[in-house]
Amino acid sequence: MSRARSEERSGWLFVLPFTISMMLFFAYAIVRTAYYSFTDFDLFKAPSFVGMSNYTALVSDELFLLALRNTIGFSLIVTTTQTVLALGLAVLVNHAVRARGLIRTVFYLPSIMSSAAMTLIFLWLFQRNGFMTAIVSVVLAYRQHILLFLVGMAALQGALVLNARRSYEGISIFDPLFLLVAAVGALALAASCALAGLLSVFDNNLLISWLNTQRHFLFMPVTLWSVALMNVFTTVPTLMLLFLAGLQSIPSSLYDAAEVDGANAFQRFRHITVPALRPVTFAVVTMGVIGTLQMFDQVAILGDAAPLASRVTLAYYVYENAFPAGASSRIGMASAAALVLGILTIAAVYVQKSVGVKEKGE
Amino acid sequence: MLFRPGALVAATMLFGLPASAEEIVRISGWGGSEVAVVNGLLTNVLAEKLAEEGIRVKYEPVDGDYSQFIINGLSAGTAPDLFYVDTFWARSVFSAGQAAPVTNDVSGFAANLLTAFTYDGKLYSTPKDFNTLAIHFNKDIFDDAGVGYPSDDDTWTTLQEKLVAVNKSLPEVDGLCVVPEYARFGAFALSTGWSPFDARGKTVLDKRFRRAFDFYTGLVKSGAAVMAADAGHSWTGGCLASERAAVAIEGAWILSALRDSAPNMNLGTVRMPKDPESSKRGNIVFSVGWTVNAASKVSKAAAKVAELLTTEEAQQWVLEQGLALPSRTSLNDNPWLRGGQPEQIASRVVLEGLSDDHVMPYFFGDVGGSWMQPINAALNSVILGEEDANTALLSAQSAFDRMLAK
Repeated sequence: MSRARSEERSGWLFVLPFTISMMLFFAYAIVRTAYYSFTDFDLFKAPSFVGMSNYTALVSDELFLLALRNTIGFSLIVTTTQTVLALGLAVLVNHAVRARGLIRTVFYLPSIMSSAAMTLIFLWLFQRNGFMTAIVSVVLAYRQHILLFLVGMAALQGALVLNARRSYEGISIFDPLFLLVAAVGALALAASCALAGLLSVFDNNLLISWLNTQRHFLFMPVTLWSVALMNVFTTVPTLMLLFLAGLQSIPSSLYDAAEVDGANAFQRFRHITVPALRPVTFAVVTMGVIGTLQMFDQVAILGDAAPLASRVTLAYYVYENAFPAGASSRIGMASAAALVLGILTIAAVYVQKSVGVKEKGE
Repeated sequence: MLFRPGALVAATMLFGLPASAEEIVRISGWGGSEVAVVNGLLTNVLAEKLAEEGIRVKYEPVDGDYSQFIINGLSAGTAPDLFYVDTFWARSVFSAGQAAPVTNDVSGFAANLLTAFTYDGKLYSTPKDFNTLAIHFNKDIFDDAGVGYPSDDDTWTTLQEKLVAVNKSLPEVDGLCVVPEYARFGAFALSTGWSPFDARGKTVLDKRFRRAFDFYTGLVKSGAAVMAADAGHSWTGGCLASERAAVAIEGAWILSALRDSAPNMNLGTVRMPKDPESSKRGNIVFSVGWTVNAASKVSKAAAKVAELLTTEEAQQWVLEQGLALPSRTSLNDNPWLRGGQPEQIASRVVLEGLSDDHVMPYFFGDVGGSWMQPINAALNSVILGEEDANTALLSAQSAFDRMLAK
């Protein structure tokens, strides 16, 4: 009995530091935020109770509605893209026979840089006449060359694989040696046609506003699409490592048995890899949802490089109200918006858990 | 028991305590070139006077978001005893009762600067310096292009013609880097006689505003300017310093930037161009003042420090170092300002901007910086060619109507 009590006491002692920090920085902060959300408070005068008026003001504030729409759109796009890309990269790295460590390190590099530094680099890349525009400009200028290369490569690869399958079974459509030969052949074809003057180069003087624009693409401002690209680039490597750890814990005997049963690569991926990775996918999606719903740093660093309406997210809206430029703090509005963001995050994680990726593997 | 003064002195020395009570005043301002101004004043000009007053100043410059630092400090009770307040966000400190009213004699300061720091009939800041906008230009570029220098007599159109001519002659150089911001465009709008707020407190983007808007947004299309962001810069001064542009529209703060990045530039400075229709000039005043923390335990000493930091002697020293423009009118005729050096000319021109025809402080009432957003968004979308002026201004007017209806 005394041993049990001693263990119980030890247990409480172990969790005490975390409990204290939780109570101070989470529970207490939430209670204070909830209280302030029903008051008019500017950080100086005593808070005065205003009932639900901060919440009704939120609903009628166009900037809040815009921030809400932007946040949900951004979260959907980034979470989906980064999860798919991270899984794909992890599978690719896992299959690399040689220099796996080097490839893993190279892919992980974007994640070791600070978010602020990356944003500043992307600000430069995203200039209207910057690097990203140059890429698009080159693609458009040489579109005939690129198209011919792709078509030529697909045709050569198809011909090589079909020819090989007449002699050997089980040749993959993506056979790496044939891919290399097809790429070289297609490159030679495109170069020959270009030298013969059969292909045109289309002059363009492109200026693309990646950040400083009020245009929309689908349901989100173009600016936030650019931020999403930046965010995916920096987050995918970390998530890839999680998937990689999950992949390496899947017994190879499962793949061997499936191969014996005649399952192809896609079937093995669909029926072994994806279900076995479900707990990792759950963690990746959940972290993605939480991180993207709280997007703040990258849009804050953008500052005047992009119009407010094109980059505002809920987290930034909270900050804008807490510290408005040249005006008194609106802590009541900021608190109400912060609570909405908190509730939205919890709801999104719950919905994801209920109807999205399950926590337990099959 | 006998009293032994020697023992007291010995004990004081032993424990490192001052023999007489010294009041410590914490003061704060932003970093950058301001650190040299304040440190120079404290060590070169005011050291003896502060010692006579029994005041020790603890200077804490802040890099980063200064207004946020002050607001946080004031709300947490950790703010310095004396600190900078910018006219842009002064209202948020004054209206919250966080500033102590100024009780010193302020009769020597420029009246419009005092007005900018007055709230509810009381003055809460001692203006330390100010800035207005002017046209700064690289004489060598104009010489190479064979184009006449900008002059005080320029109107919008004559200046535009010169900038187009520079670009035609030297295609790698643009006339000006424009920024889609009211902080620069405002001077043009004000010169037409337009006012940010009408008598009812509403913002009306009338025909006068439209005229200035069309001119400013048309600068890029006419070949007179390029967007600063497209030239890889965030401000017009960056383009001038890198010789990407021939002129910049900035205040005297550009001088410290040029000192570092383009020390050999053959710089010229003239006043903002006139509106060709009204023949008037407009300008925006940016000013900073010393404010005593209302909760300071050494408020009298802090007020004394503010007074000393803004005396005629102190401001003359700052002026003669070429560091900032004096807020005291008596220094307007200072011999230093009549000199022919580029920095002296630039300072004189910026000082003259205070007496332009339509001058407004960089301040937008209770709305704060949000007031500028509709105008900035309209400027941006029209310069980028994403919207026409009619659509952009309709949208801006509707944003103002909603904003100021609250």
